[in-house]
Amino acid sequence: MQPSVPAGTGSSSAGTSGRRRNPLRSEAKWGVLYALPALAVLAIFVIYPVGSIIVHAFTRWDGFTDPVFVGLKNFQALFADQTFASALRNNIFFALSVPIQLVLPLGLAFLIHERLPGWRFYRWTYFLPAIYSTVVLGVLARLALQVDGPLNEALAGVGLGGLVHDWLGDGPTALASILFVFVWANFGYNVVLYLAGMSGIDAQLPEAARLDGANQLQVLRHVFVPGLRRVMEIVLVTSTINAFAYMFTYVFTITNGGPGFSTFVAEFDIYNNAFAFQKLGYACAMGLCLALLISILGFIQIRSLTGGRE
Amino acid sequence: MRNRAVRPRPLRWALVAGMTGLGISAVIPLVFMLQAAFRTQLDWANSKIGLPTTFSLDAFARAWVQASIGTYFINSVIVTVGAVSLSVALAATSGYAFSTLRWRGRTFTYFFILAWMAIPPLLLMVPIYVEMSDLGLIDTYWSVILLYSALNLPFNMYLMTAFFRAVPVELVEAARVDGASVHTIFRSLLLPLSVPALATLVIFNALYVWNEFVFALLLLHDDSVRTLTVGVNQLVGKFFFDYPALLAGMLITSLPMVIVYLVFQKYLVRAIAAGALK
Repeated sequence: MQPSVPAGTGSSSAGTSGRRRNPLRSEAKWGVLYALPALAVLAIFVIYPVGSIIVHAFTRWDGFTDPVFVGLKNFQALFADQTFASALRNNIFFALSVPIQLVLPLGLAFLIHERLPGWRFYRWTYFLPAIYSTVVLGVLARLALQVDGPLNEALAGVGLGGLVHDWLGDGPTALASILFVFVWANFGYNVVLYLAGMSGIDAQLPEAARLDGANQLQVLRHVFVPGLRRVMEIVLVTSTINAFAYMFTYVFTITNGGPGFSTFVAEFDIYNNAFAFQKLGYACAMGLCLALLISILGFIQIRSLTGGRE
Repeated sequence: MRNRAVRPRPLRWALVAGMTGLGISAVIPLVFMLQAAFRTQLDWANSKIGLPTTFSLDAFARAWVQASIGTYFINSVIVTVGAVSLSVALAATSGYAFSTLRWRGRTFTYFFILAWMAIPPLLLMVPIYVEMSDLGLIDTYWSVILLYSALNLPFNMYLMTAFFRAVPVELVEAARVDGASVHTIFRSLLLPLSVPALATLVIFNALYVWNEFVFALLLLHDDSVRTLTVGVNQLVGKFFFDYPALLAGMLITSLPMVIVYLVFQKYLVRAIAAGALK
């Protein structure tokens, strides 16, 4: 599915195919009308909320009475907010898994691409975690990791009773558990992305490299990696965004933020401020800051990747 | 010929073992739910892993009726069918406008829509909640149907535009010369040609909508409109003493998409690949 032939690109159209102006004018009219429903839905449910968040980030707003403009007060409070800071630290902790999420699926995809025995089984099963709902995975993880749950039962069963632990009742292991589920749930998706990228690479290139005596690692490093820049860029940016803005469901279902505040993430804090404390203006400021942070990170990542190429 | 991925034998088998282990881990949630859902509560109390000693459908009955999984299931189906139809229809019409029809501002509008693809929707939960409640859409299917359609729209539109652009210009021109109207070209020429692309989008969007949790949690409070993901999460509190029923509920939540994946794997992978190669 390659967008190879752009159909009728603008300017040339006016001069060709007869001088009946009416059909072209009606085509222009229908062009707008065909695009309009999509634009309207996007405007109402995406663009308007983005505008709203920017405006309300500068207000005090409880959702019942009218918002009151307070200037930069929300942002000043935000920078002194210890809960938000520790939530962001957890997001950064999750983002530390990005190199693993970038490199591990690349290796797995390479082995599948090179037809390691069993490759069909790997290709089929690796995508399953992306098929399960995150809620189901989170609830299952929570059940499995309970004090009297299957994991501890299994550990005790194989004589590793010493390792039995209240995994979710202890801050560091609770955080590590969420990280584990998060990485595991996403690796298959990235494998599929890499496989798609690899199928677009001319099969003669790796063959030629091998004839020149390159070993598998060198082929991966010097033939595939350069051809996969675009995919790696996507994996890098989306994994980072995931660690900052798609953690809510994992946290909500596995630990609900606890024990204490130890597994809070930024989205969780936004949710709490908005819907538990009715501080909607403050929650908007948090959302805006997080969006800016993600954009800056994404920009730096893309720049550093493309910069390395030129 | 390519089957010489890794030469040294021991390393090769270590890799096969590791890869197989990872593959098995991906199947475990499914197996775990299956083996638990057919147990009776007594059987579960005796052992939580391994083959069940009983084969009972009671847990499904308890989940479906007492835990309202039946209602949630129907709600999920309604929301998924609604959101997928709407967003694919919007993608098809706008894709047509951005590929085949010629009008001023086309390129700008195209990139303008595309630009909203990168927004993490969760950051917008506050304004979206307030807007939905202003529109009186809280606790209605329409809230999530419209929202999901909007969130998926940039990607869907991108894919349809790319697909329509790949249709040979001569076909469209020939139809024009034959006097086909703007609508006829769309309906009778392009839509029939784009069935594979439409199928790709249907599968890809269905997976997202069926599994979406946070906005369903935010916008659907009443049990009569709740979807499966929210319902299942709620069961954890309500049915904590009845694991077989809880796991049966989660199995009912997971199976439709696993089956879709089994049957339509090709289309799903194609949608992801299209996103990768843009």
